[in-house]
Formats: sequence, C-alpha cells, structure tokens
Amino acid sequence: MPGIGIPPLEANLPPIVKRNYGKWITHEHVRPGVIKHDSETGESCYTVRVGMPPNARLSTHTIRLFCDLADEFSEGYFRVTQRNSFEFVGVLRERIDALIARLDKNGYPVGGTNRSLHNTTCCTGYMHCHLAASDPAAIMKAISDMLIGDFKTERYPAKLKISGSGCINNCGEGSCADIGIVAVHRDLPPIKEDKIGGCDIQLVISVCPTGAIKPKGPKMVEIDPKRCIHCPACSVACAAMAPIGSANGDGVAIVVGGKAANTGDGPAMAKVVVPYLPNNPPRWPEVTDAVRNIIEAWVRGARKDERVGDWISRIGWEKFYERTGLPLSFKVIDGYDARALERARTGVRFRW
Amino acid sequence: MEKIKLCCAKCGFVIEEYTADELANVPRKAKRHKYLLNKASICPSCLGSGRLKEVRGDDTTASPAPQEVAAASSAVAPTAHEKHAAMATPMMDELAKGPWPSHTAELKKTKYPSGMYEEALQKRTTQWGYGGYVSLPGVAAGVLVRASARPEITKGSNFVRIMDPCGNFFSADAMRKICDIADKHAYGLLHLLSTGGDLELLGIPTENLKAVVEEVTKIGFDVGSTGDDYRTSEECIGPAKCDLTLYDTLGFRYAWYKRFLDDIQYPRFPHKVKCKFAGCPNDCVRGGQKADIFVCGVFRDLPKINQEKVAAWVKGGGDIATICAGCPGRCLQWDAKKGLSLDGDSCMRCMYCINKIPGVRPGDDRGVAILVGGKMRGKYGPMLAKVLVPFIKAVPPDYKEVFDFIERLTEVYDEHARKKERLGDFLLRIGFDEFLRLVRIEPSAKNITEPRTNLFYHWEPEEIRDERRK
Repeated sequence: MPGIGIPPLEANLPPIVKRNYGKWITHEHVRPGVIKHDSETGESCYTVRVGMPPNARLSTHTIRLFCDLADEFSEGYFRVTQRNSFEFVGVLRERIDALIARLDKNGYPVGGTNRSLHNTTCCTGYMHCHLAASDPAAIMKAISDMLIGDFKTERYPAKLKISGSGCINNCGEGSCADIGIVAVHRDLPPIKEDKIGGCDIQLVISVCPTGAIKPKGPKMVEIDPKRCIHCPACSVACAAMAPIGSANGDGVAIVVGGKAANTGDGPAMAKVVVPYLPNNPPRWPEVTDAVRNIIEAWVRGARKDERVGDWISRIGWEKFYERTGLPLSFKVIDGYDARALERARTGVRFRW
Repeated sequence: MEKIKLCCAKCGFVIEEYTADELANVPRKAKRHKYLLNKASICPSCLGSGRLKEVRGDDTTASPAPQEVAAASSAVAPTAHEKHAAMATPMMDELAKGPWPSHTAELKKTKYPSGMYEEALQKRTTQWGYGGYVSLPGVAAGVLVRASARPEITKGSNFVRIMDPCGNFFSADAMRKICDIADKHAYGLLHLLSTGGDLELLGIPTENLKAVVEEVTKIGFDVGSTGDDYRTSEECIGPAKCDLTLYDTLGFRYAWYKRFLDDIQYPRFPHKVKCKFAGCPNDCVRGGQKADIFVCGVFRDLPKINQEKVAAWVKGGGDIATICAGCPGRCLQWDAKKGLSLDGDSCMRCMYCINKIPGVRPGDDRGVAILVGGKMRGKYGPMLAKVLVPFIKAVPPDYKEVFDFIERLTEVYDEHARKKERLGDFLLRIGFDEFLRLVRIEPSAKNITEPRTNLFYHWEPEEIRDERRK
C-alpha cells in the first residue's frame, strides 16, 4: 500500500554516475545526439539521446526493446529526459556507432542536442482526454516528420523546442516552448440539466475567470455567451458541463517565444501570434506551414545563440509579422484584465 | 469504537474511514476529512460525481454489502479486458507513416481501443466524456478515471500514477517489472513520462486498481500526485550528469519526499501545488514557468574564470566574439593579451558564458532561490514565477531551513486561498506586498523588477507617528 515513497536515491543510478556523482567538470557536444561529460576522476561519460514518439505513450513492447538495448550498451540503465527523449548514459565511445545503427534499424532517430530541434512534446489529446480541442500528438507527429532533418543536424542558431497542448489548460506546456501549439475551443459549454444536480454549483461559478456563469435558481446555472472565453474551467469542475467542443468550433492557436532559461532576455511566456487555425486531421497542413514559416524566418534572421523569443525582442513584433508574413488579428491584442494594457505600445520607437 | 466513514451519496461506496480519535489527534487526517467533505468527488465505483456522505457508527452499520459494490462497478466500470472490435483505421494508418517514430504504431501494439482515437480524428472532436481523480480506500491519491462518451467502443479507462525515481533514471530490470504489471492488468501502454514527471500505467479496469497499486508498491515504487496536493516534483539532472549544478537536486528531491510524503499522497490544499527543483538558472525543468514553488540554484559571487583554459578554447576555435556580444549584461570583454575580463556590477549570473566557455565556472557562494506562483493556466492565464527568497543556503542532508520555509508558505496558502485557486492567482488577488507580509519576509530589491508607479498604498493608524528628524 502507498506510503513507501520513491525508490532510494542510488537504486536506479548507473554505475558510472555513482562513481562520478557531483564530480563532473565539463561537457561537450560531440555530434548531434551525443554529449560527452568529463569528470575530475578522469572518466568520460558519453550520452546518446533518442527521439521518441510524440506524447510519450509507449507500448511495453517498445519499452522492453529499449531495456534490452540498455542492457547491451549502457550497463542496464537508461534515463528519460524532461522532454521525454530517451538517454543511454555511459555508452562506450567505440560502441556509439553500433548503438545508433541499432536504433536507426528500429526507426528511432538520434539527435536533439545543442543547436537543433529538441524532442517535441505534447499532451494526450484525443487519445485519452475529454477536454481536448485538437490532437497535439498528431500535429507533433506531422511537425516532427517535417523537421526530422533538423533533429539530426545542428542547423539552427540556437536550440528550438516545440510543444503542443490540447486545450488552454496547457498540460502539454505549449506556452513554455519556443514555438507552441495550443488548441482552443470556440463553443459554449453544454449544460446538462439532468446531471447538474451532482455538481458543486458554487465552485462552477467561482472558477469562471470572467464571471460569465450565474446561478439560475438553486440547482441550475446560466452562461452569459458574450463573456465566455471558452476556457474549459467549468468543464473541469463539473461533469454536467463537459465535454465542450465541436468539429468546426475547435482548432489550434500558435504561440511563440517562450523560454525558461535566464540567458538572453530571461524567462518568458510564449505570446499568441496565430489565434486560430482549423483542425484538419490527420496532418494539419495549415499548422505545419505556419510553423515552418516561423522557423525559416528565425533561421534567416537570428544571430548565433538567439532563441526565438530573444530574436523577436531584438527585431520587434512589427518585423516579426513582416518577416513571417503572418496576418495580425484583433484576437492577438490583449484586453483580458488590468495587466493587459501593459502590452499596448508606449512611446513611438517604431521599426518601419 | 465509533467509525466515521465518507461514502458516495449514490452507491454508498466507502472512500475513506477514520476513527474519532484519529480526527482529534492526527492533523493531516483531520484536514483531509474536512477537505473531502467540502468538495465534490468522483466515486471510483459508480463514477458519479458529487458531495460525499458522512456516516457515523460502529463497524457494522451503514457499510454497503460488498456484492452491491461489485455489481455497481460492473455496470459502468471501465475494463481493459473488454473485446474491442477490429475496425478500419485510415487516419491512424496515415499517422503511422513518416520517418519519425509514431504514436499510433505504439497504440496498435497494445490493448488500447483504437476506435476512440480513430473516431476522434475522423469526427474532429474528442470521444471521451469526463475525467477526474478518485480516492480509493487507502489510496488517497494516484488514481485517475476517464469516462467514455462512446460506451459502445469502450466504457472508460483508469490510470495509476507512479512517482518517478530521482533523476528519471530507470534500471532496465525495474522497468521490465512495471511492464509486466501493465501487460497483466492494463492496456500494456505506459506514459513515459508525463509532463509533470510521473510514470502512468494506462487503461486499468476498476476491479484491478487495488491489485495494481499493491504490485507497484511491492516492486519498490509508490503512487500519488493527483488532486490538490504536492504534485510529483521534477528535478533537473543535477550532480548526476551535469557540471553546472549549484546544489544536489537529486538529494534535495529525495529529502523532499521523505519530509512531505504525506502531503504528496493526501490531497488537502486549495488546489494543486507543483514543485520543481532546478540546479542552476538554466532551469532545465521549466520551473520558472510551470511550478507553484520553484527552487532554483543560484550563486552570489562572480563566475570563476580560468584564463588558461579560456585562451586554449579561443585558440581551438571558440567563438568568443559572439559570447561577448550575446552577454545580456554586456559585461564580458576579451583581449588576446589580458584574457577575459568581467564587469562585476552588471553581471546577472545568467549562466550564458558558463554554458558556452569551458574555462568559466560558477562561483563558490552557492545556495537556492525560491520562486512562487508560476502556472500555465489557473484563473488568469500563464504566469511566470516570482522571486520570494533571492538566496538561502541549502544544507544537506535534510535541507531543514528551506523546507521549513516552504511549509510556512503552504500553510499561508492553505489558510488564505480560495478553493481551486492556484498560488499564482492567490498572489494576484491579495497582492504581492500582502503575501510577503503573510509569509513574514523582509522585502528586498531582488523581489521586484521595479518599484510601483502609483501611490495607492494604505497606512495603518499605528504606523502614523512623528518621523521628523529631531
């Protein structure tokens, strides 16, 4: 029964890590997908990073394959990174090529380090979620297929992270990434009269960010359609107001410029540049075109080590829209709350 | 002995059980009891949602007969062992093509009901109905349910959330054991890893849930981290494989789990609290964007420059001009004779030169900063975490000072925040100045990017006195 906590610190650490824990002095990107760490004990540790299917759902069949590879090449240990790529830690230098060949044979690309496309991540989407307005897994698959060459090479000015979220709850971290896909709803939530008795009416009213939900009698609510921002907050809080969404209502927005590192201009949330594109399964061509557009403009215009957000803050948003050719819409102008006006331009330092 | 039971109001399934003694003497149980009474829960047995019913009495009264519960669960319970009719899946087949590894190919290798995904893609809208977290008797956190809107394809799906080991390292043997459980009881599909850093077993029938939790704990892992508690904390790779880390993130996380395990497994906060630990300001865990409580390694003195190494690196083709130009404080200067010099006043300790030049290393006066309020949505949209404590020493092995502070912080949050209000939204509502006062922090210039422009502040009568210089 629960209560035992996580496994002991050292239980899952590979031997080479145990020997050199906290003793690393430098690291070096040997080639795309291979990182070398040097320790003060004189040991070198080679890590091979592998791209994984979007949304990180893996069959036990595949995981067993990776366990076998770990037994063969990295002393029986592997690691899953923050972006869900697999890492084989402590591969012998002369066996790296053999490992990459084996992974290649099974259809897994090696790359995603330094100035390349990092592994794309996303939330579960249509596969398992009742809130999904789109399927970021399929979108990420389409984007990764398109950009797999950039995963295996280092052609970009800096690293590029692409993430996708299936709704604005943002479990897939779209707003964290350099380029994020965040799916949006455009419909009003349903109100199922027969089920609303089971809901916490007070909570439903209080979670609404705009106060669009009002009580209507003791056991019923009504929605002010003018004020609804189609966030699924009420759908999360109450089963009678889920699922929200329809085939023509749902779609995706594109956000750019998010980053966590304190280098450059420091941490930033991504900004919305395309408020809506339609869902077009299975390959979402409108979305992949827009993403490619943004990436090409960035690669052409950015200086070395400039991530998408840093590039935009140097050239300004007017140049961003000029270079990418994206249309500007009313919807990207923030008017949500008191803080929103801070995003309006002050001063007249325009870049014509 | 009087028992206090919390049951589903509809089917009578007992979700949690206390004695009057426990409620009086064990604070966490009392808090949990109060929390459950005040919130709509999903019943793991009948999947109905609503307030729980409190039943008091001795052992024999008011407990539903076990057969009834079994009958109730077979009526609506999701099951992985149901037969899924084979169907044509043109959309999924299209997504299985292409050079990148495919998620639909993975799904096809498991017992996942492909119809749900295929139909969603064809109809361009999700086929799942409703979902949430449930508590089982003895398992307060760690189980998720998803009800289907298409009962003819599948009735639904349950997940169990396993807390990942430190550093996300797995031994192949341990992972094979988890795979065995997934094959035996569930779809044979794992989420490795979720964006919150947990490992999820997907598609478990309701009647297997208890068995899965038991088997998972038997092989040395533990479940938890759903609902309004401390979620699974993520840490960066830290000293295990990184040369830049400023404190032992793995050890810190292990100590965290030792101290706060109860708060991770017994939901009772106003909303979820995500905690992330990054070893340096590079923030590989995205804590500054996502975490309610973000502990980030920082150093106070200047980066250490090893002139010989830097010169060797420049000689070997290192692009020093780009780095001097890209330094956000413009404080680096390279001179072929004098070497690399650094203007201490404008250095922000951003790590850029340290990342890029092998001869520049972080300083020695190291500690952690604590930031709060990062979130991805909440009520008022995405928000970056705000600096609460710019520097505090992190002293292993128990990190008492840091953890005591975090406990004080969550107590303030627990006491003052409204239901379903993330820490960031709470900060926004009560104001950062008021929050600093509540957690008893002396403000410093490092808490703010700039002082206020308005003069709308309040004075208490006792603050008014003669402040003229005598």
